[in-house]
Amino acid sequence: MRKQIEGIGEATLRLCREGLELWRVYVSTIAGLVRGLTKRKDKIARRGRAKGELVRQFHAIGNKSIIFIAVTLGFIGMVMTYQACLQLGRVTGDYSQVGSQFLRLIISDFGPTLCGLMLATRVGAGIAAEIGSMKVTEQIDALRMSGVLPIDYLIVPRFIACLVMMLVLAVLGSVVMYFAGAATAHYSFGVNPNTFFDLSFIRPRHLILFLLKCAAYGAAIPIVAGFCGLRARGSSEGVGWATTAAVIGSSFAVIVLDFVLSAGALWLTGGDL
Amino acid sequence: MTAVRIADVHKRYGSRRVLDGISLELPRGTKLGLIGPAAAGKSVLCKLICGLEQPDRGELEVFGESVVGKREADLGPLRKRIGMLFQNYALFDFLTVEQNVAFPLEHGFGTQSRDRAGGELTTEAIAERVAARLKAVGLAGSERKLTGELSGGMKKRVGIARATVADAELVIYDEPSAGLDPVTTQKIYDLLAADQQRTGATVLAVSSDVTALATFVDEIAFLYDHRIVYRGPAATIADSPNSLVRQFVRGELEGPLDQAGPGMSSDRSVT
Amino acid sequence: MISAIGAGALRIAQEVGGIVLLAGQVLRALIPPRMDTRELWKNLYKMGNRSVPIVVLTAFFSGALMMLQAGPFVKKFGATGLAGWGAGYAVLREIGPILIALMFSGRVGANNTAELSTMTVTEQLDGLRALAIDPVRFLVVPRVIAMVVMLVALTAIGDLVALVGATLIGRAMLDIELSSMYYSITENLKPYDFLHGIYKSIAFGVAIAMSSCYFGITVRGGAVGVGRAVNAAVVAAAVSIMLLDFFLTYLTG
Repeated sequence: MRKQIEGIGEATLRLCREGLELWRVYVSTIAGLVRGLTKRKDKIARRGRAKGELVRQFHAIGNKSIIFIAVTLGFIGMVMTYQACLQLGRVTGDYSQVGSQFLRLIISDFGPTLCGLMLATRVGAGIAAEIGSMKVTEQIDALRMSGVLPIDYLIVPRFIACLVMMLVLAVLGSVVMYFAGAATAHYSFGVNPNTFFDLSFIRPRHLILFLLKCAAYGAAIPIVAGFCGLRARGSSEGVGWATTAAVIGSSFAVIVLDFVLSAGALWLTGGDL
Repeated sequence: MTAVRIADVHKRYGSRRVLDGISLELPRGTKLGLIGPAAAGKSVLCKLICGLEQPDRGELEVFGESVVGKREADLGPLRKRIGMLFQNYALFDFLTVEQNVAFPLEHGFGTQSRDRAGGELTTEAIAERVAARLKAVGLAGSERKLTGELSGGMKKRVGIARATVADAELVIYDEPSAGLDPVTTQKIYDLLAADQQRTGATVLAVSSDVTALATFVDEIAFLYDHRIVYRGPAATIADSPNSLVRQFVRGELEGPLDQAGPGMSSDRSVT
Repeated sequence: MISAIGAGALRIAQEVGGIVLLAGQVLRALIPPRMDTRELWKNLYKMGNRSVPIVVLTAFFSGALMMLQAGPFVKKFGATGLAGWGAGYAVLREIGPILIALMFSGRVGANNTAELSTMTVTEQLDGLRALAIDPVRFLVVPRVIAMVVMLVALTAIGDLVALVGATLIGRAMLDIELSSMYYSITENLKPYDFLHGIYKSIAFGVAIAMSSCYFGITVRGGAVGVGRAVNAAVVAAAVSIMLLDFFLTYLTG
């Protein structure tokens, strides 16, 4: 019995320590961000961040994920609408609310969250794989030897790119989802598109929740993935481990953040969402 | 003046002891070789000197400044003066050869060349230095290549160029000739010797190829069983009074090294 | 731009083709079922054990989330009796299988790809072949079976946990009585709703397993290659899950 308790205690301590490390990485990233923004002098030698690195990250994270997001969210949109209409058909047969409620769900939850989950796998794995392989081939040490802070050079550009791209892709994905749902409702259940496209239920609080979630996920994914990448040790196994941990960690972070933000919004608005 | 002073340094990874009371001093301008069995802690010692890892106990000073307990950002000025060649090159695989060599100059803190008053280098000046370094290591035409296109020997040379481009006062070479053929090995050591002649830097070189190493350095230290057990002139290393060293250098199978030390197999049936 | 799209399409086609070929090899190795049972048990244990905590947590949160979304709506219309049914329906048929599959892909699929690619990169697969052992029969088949079996089991467990999560949140945040939820669930949800989700998890399991093993054994290029392989495996699995979900929903209604 004592061993179990010790085991749990040890695991909890370790979790707390890791959590603290993660928080430190987050704070360092923000610090690095501020550092980068306040260097306004016209230095000739480039400092801290490679020119064009930010653009490269935008491309790597954003551009390459567009089709992925559009396809996955589009399909999910179709499936969700199908299931919902099927369910409603069994109970009330009244499809007039489907469009408006679907939009509300997309904006306040499924749009950003599904996009976040997809990006957690795609981008999270990518970032951890890149940074992880740099760590095991000692390139991170080489960066430090050249007087560069790895967080400034590697994580900050990805952080910015992820925040921006998360928003862009979530908007794109939501639009695709909505239209895909409309198509499904129309072709499979005969719902009139005019009835479907009903924006009357949308309130500012939904949009605020959308933005908050995008920001939260966009911040969490690169931090968690970068953290895992920097912890890689060994050789190929280390990279594999880092990538796996990043995918799980960022997916889980997205789910937990979704829950926290949704519950918080529900509580603040007194159950009226 | 001492370039490097190491006093009673201990380092463990979890339950595994790596260094157990290492003390070493490197006077300025000298060249010291470091040899020992595999996984004896030689690379760890190099990283400790640069502040890339922190010791559990002991003192480490480079150019009179301690590297123990310092934050990353504070180690910057000291690292300007140190150049390191990593065992696995650690070249940036997302940059070209040119960009790799220019990296310390562009992103670090400029350079510390003796005839300048400090401050930043212009882009042209950086390009000139990079070109000069690449020519010196014999890679003049390969500026635009990516690291994936290079052979092992070429990668080593890029690593050497990057380690020395900022005219470092202390240069650490971790296995400069590992995995290279004898001719290339000789060329590399000739290059290292020429560099040192030119800049008068202090050098620490880790190597498993004792014969080639001995032609380059002044003294050799032997790291065994987590300590420095011998230090003497390189020229006479094969006839060292220490029997451990003699056996190791001559590659003999019989002798005191048979008591399984770190990384040594005492199973003689496996040749 | 067009050539880039074309090149991308060709590459995807090549990979899909490769995965199908591997699937063929796996099927052939299953008839007759002759494999290393020790490997099978080892993998079953490893994949099941390792994923239970994360799947359970994910399931709990997904159930809770569905409740948060469906609950207020149902409550507004005074139909609290239907709350359990609303949340439960979505969970059993869609959210449960999909989220659990995604988590499984991240935890087990990625890990598996990492292991297999490390083995490939360190030439262990070649070593097996030199000993006249077929890597597919020895390594891949047990893993595929283990992953499918485990995902189905985990989905079943996860579905239950998700319902529990939904019930608890219903009580905590929406003041829906536990008994009300219980009746709502047991009255309105049919066994077929549950099975629908399970059929999907079988398909997801196969997709995750094939993608994970394929990218594991076709890796090239050292540590960097390993990272890329894991990345590709996870992305391919996610896309397949979405596509399969779509087709299965329509086919099995």
